[in-house]
Amino acid sequence: MNPHDVDILLVEDSPDDADLAIHALRKEKLASSIFIARDGEEALNFIFCRGEFNDRYFDHPPKLILLDLKLPKIDGMQVLRTIKSDPRTKAIPVVIMTSSKEERDLVSGYDLGANSFIQKPVDFDQFQETVKQVGLYWMVTNQPPVRTPTQLGLAPEALTTT
Amino acid sequence: MREPSFLMKTLEATSELHLRTNRRPQEAPLGKKSEIAEPQPIHAPIEAPLRRRVTGGFIVAVLMTVFIGFSSWRYARLAAEDADWVVHTYSVMDALELTAKHVIEMETSARTFALTGQDSFLASYEAARGTVAQEEDALRHLTADNPNQQRRLDLLEPQIGAALKFAASLVAKRQLLEAIPSDSEILETERLIDAARATSQEMKADEMHLLSLRTQKTNAGRRLTSFIIVGGILVGAALLAFARLAVNREIDVSTGARAQISTMNAELEQRVEQRTSLLQSEIAERKRTEAALQQSEETLRLLLDGVKDHAIFMLDPEGRVVSWTSCATRLLGYQSNEIIGQHVSCLYSSADSESGKPGLELERAILNGRNEEIGQRKRKDGTLFWAEAMESPLFNDSGALRGFAKVVRDITERKQTEHVLVLQAEHLARTSRALQVLNDELELRVSQRTTQLESSNQELEAFTYSVSHDLRAPLRHISGFSKLLVEDFGERLQPEAKQYLERIVHGVRRMGILVDELLALAGVGRHKLNVGYADVNSLVNEVVTILTPETEGRLVEWQIGDLGFATCDAVLLAQVFQNLIGNALKFTRSRATAVIEIGRIEDAGQLTFFVRDNGVGFDMKYADKLFGVFQRLHRIEDFEGTGIGLATVRRIVQKHAGRTWAEAELGKGATFYFTMALPAEVQAEMRSTGEEVQL
Repeated sequence: MNPHDVDILLVEDSPDDADLAIHALRKEKLASSIFIARDGEEALNFIFCRGEFNDRYFDHPPKLILLDLKLPKIDGMQVLRTIKSDPRTKAIPVVIMTSSKEERDLVSGYDLGANSFIQKPVDFDQFQETVKQVGLYWMVTNQPPVRTPTQLGLAPEALTTT
Repeated sequence: MREPSFLMKTLEATSELHLRTNRRPQEAPLGKKSEIAEPQPIHAPIEAPLRRRVTGGFIVAVLMTVFIGFSSWRYARLAAEDADWVVHTYSVMDALELTAKHVIEMETSARTFALTGQDSFLASYEAARGTVAQEEDALRHLTADNPNQQRRLDLLEPQIGAALKFAASLVAKRQLLEAIPSDSEILETERLIDAARATSQEMKADEMHLLSLRTQKTNAGRRLTSFIIVGGILVGAALLAFARLAVNREIDVSTGARAQISTMNAELEQRVEQRTSLLQSEIAERKRTEAALQQSEETLRLLLDGVKDHAIFMLDPEGRVVSWTSCATRLLGYQSNEIIGQHVSCLYSSADSESGKPGLELERAILNGRNEEIGQRKRKDGTLFWAEAMESPLFNDSGALRGFAKVVRDITERKQTEHVLVLQAEHLARTSRALQVLNDELELRVSQRTTQLESSNQELEAFTYSVSHDLRAPLRHISGFSKLLVEDFGERLQPEAKQYLERIVHGVRRMGILVDELLALAGVGRHKLNVGYADVNSLVNEVVTILTPETEGRLVEWQIGDLGFATCDAVLLAQVFQNLIGNALKFTRSRATAVIEIGRIEDAGQLTFFVRDNGVGFDMKYADKLFGVFQRLHRIEDFEGTGIGLATVRRIVQKHAGRTWAEAELGKGATFYFTMALPAEVQAEMRSTGEEVQL
């Protein structure tokens, strides 16, 4: 998948969940440019164009990040905190999609600046419907802020592929 | 001369009376004195002049009375005499008149006879002549007391004689000579008559003069007498009044004195009586005191003899026993004849008596007024015992030491009891220490247990979390991939395989719900109450809105009463209503029109909400199972459900210190009740912040 032109960054350690999400997004023709990060570190590297993603440019940030909370290496909350505390990335919509509906997660998620909080329904039909709605809203309905890397004061870097 | 002799007599009588009355004052006081003098010694100085005055007054009064009586008598006499004299005067005058008249008659008759010769005149002449002589005698007699009249009578008698003679000569001349008197003769008769008349007139005037003189004198005497009587009566009355006053005063004084004397007598008698009764009571008191003394001596003796565990005895100033009691014998074993004269140190242990303790104690008693000590004492048989001993010094009136009173008390029993008590106290202390250790252990255990519980709670939380996350994920995967299988390869699958896949999906869905509800139930337990003031109506309306999907294509009649406000955790209360209303919708599914009533009952400060439906209801014999976890009263094919919803309701209501119950009839619907009260600590907190709690 081309990491340079990504609309949706899905941060999900479970391939099953990732597959089901892609399935659901695909149905709505939203899955054309999805990048899946399998842990928190990878997700942050991707977003901040470093490590294996240092060839990415900040001027192509993902339009939406779907973030699971329970992740290897760096957990979802830390990922969220990092994104939302950096002026270059804090404008990116982050939707938390998690199995749990722990109240404290909910509260701290919103505290850290999450844009939505969704519990993944067990029932696939419901799951599909939820994913569809989230995708349509943030990708189509919502108007993102226009920010170019130049505006952000960042030098363009060479793009690499995974 | 009658008057002077009368006056003389009266003067004599008066002086005689005077003399007689003068004797009285000497006699009367004697008699009086013998009667009054003795009972009135106090008033003697007042009495003497008074009595003199009274006596004098009486004498004057008597004299006055006598004098008045005499004056009255004299006045009466004077009046009578006066009357006599008047009569006498008039008699004289009458006699003079008659004499004159008869003389004139005789003269005129003689003259007329001489002139006429008629015999009738002769007869008149004869009659007059006869009376004139008599009247002459009467006059003489009447005027015998008056020499002047006698003298005039002497003059008158010859005149009358001359007239008689002339008349007789005239008569004789007629009778004898038949001679008629000449004019000269007639004139002569006239002259004779006039002379006689003049003399009688003179006599008459003299008598009248005498009468008037007498009357004047009588009047003067009468005035004097009247003055004397009136004055005498006034003086007498005044004297009587004075006498009466004096007597009254005397009577008063005497009455007062008598009263005083009787009062004094009464007082005296009373004093005597008082003194007597005082003496009697004093005597009685003395007798009683003696009796009491005897009794108290007896009591004291009995007391001293009967005293147990005490020896009471006396010591002389040197510490030798001088008196002994039977109680002392009982306690110490010595008979009084054995101990009297012995030094008190024989009652001490040999060590004590050698160290001079007995003497020291007596010295301390003198110094401090008293000495007390607990120590060992010795009986006659040499045995020692624990005693409480006390010595008090006794002093005589001049302050010299007379000896000591000593009391020795056997406190062996007390010592034993004290020992037991000490042992018990030690035991108690040991027990208490053991208890303390036990308590500490228990507390430690409790705190350990608490820590364990806390950590297991945390584990449970972690477990819940992982169940939530880890269990739901595979379920989602099963569900998802089953769906995808049907979607992507459905055409290549046999109908039976498709049906199995549907069943898998269905099972997974149910399990998902189960997991979610279990998490919710566990969540209630961990949930911290967020108490506020909730508008229950709007809360219920929200719940009804949430449940709208359930009512699609159905007729539901909502009867929502005034639910007011409740102090509670609004999120949890909404959960309760959601579960109950959800149930109501579920079990009325078979009804053409579902009637769901939501109301509030407030009774005696107890707030109760209820949710009532006209659904299938349940058998009341299973009512106790209703609120248990995984308890279901209907078959899953009839009504889906996990059997956790009502358990959650109960858990939430319990968190609000309320209770839940249900009433139902099979086929006729059910009513679920729950009460809301606040946990005590929340109420206390609200009270302390001054907020009002309204349920």
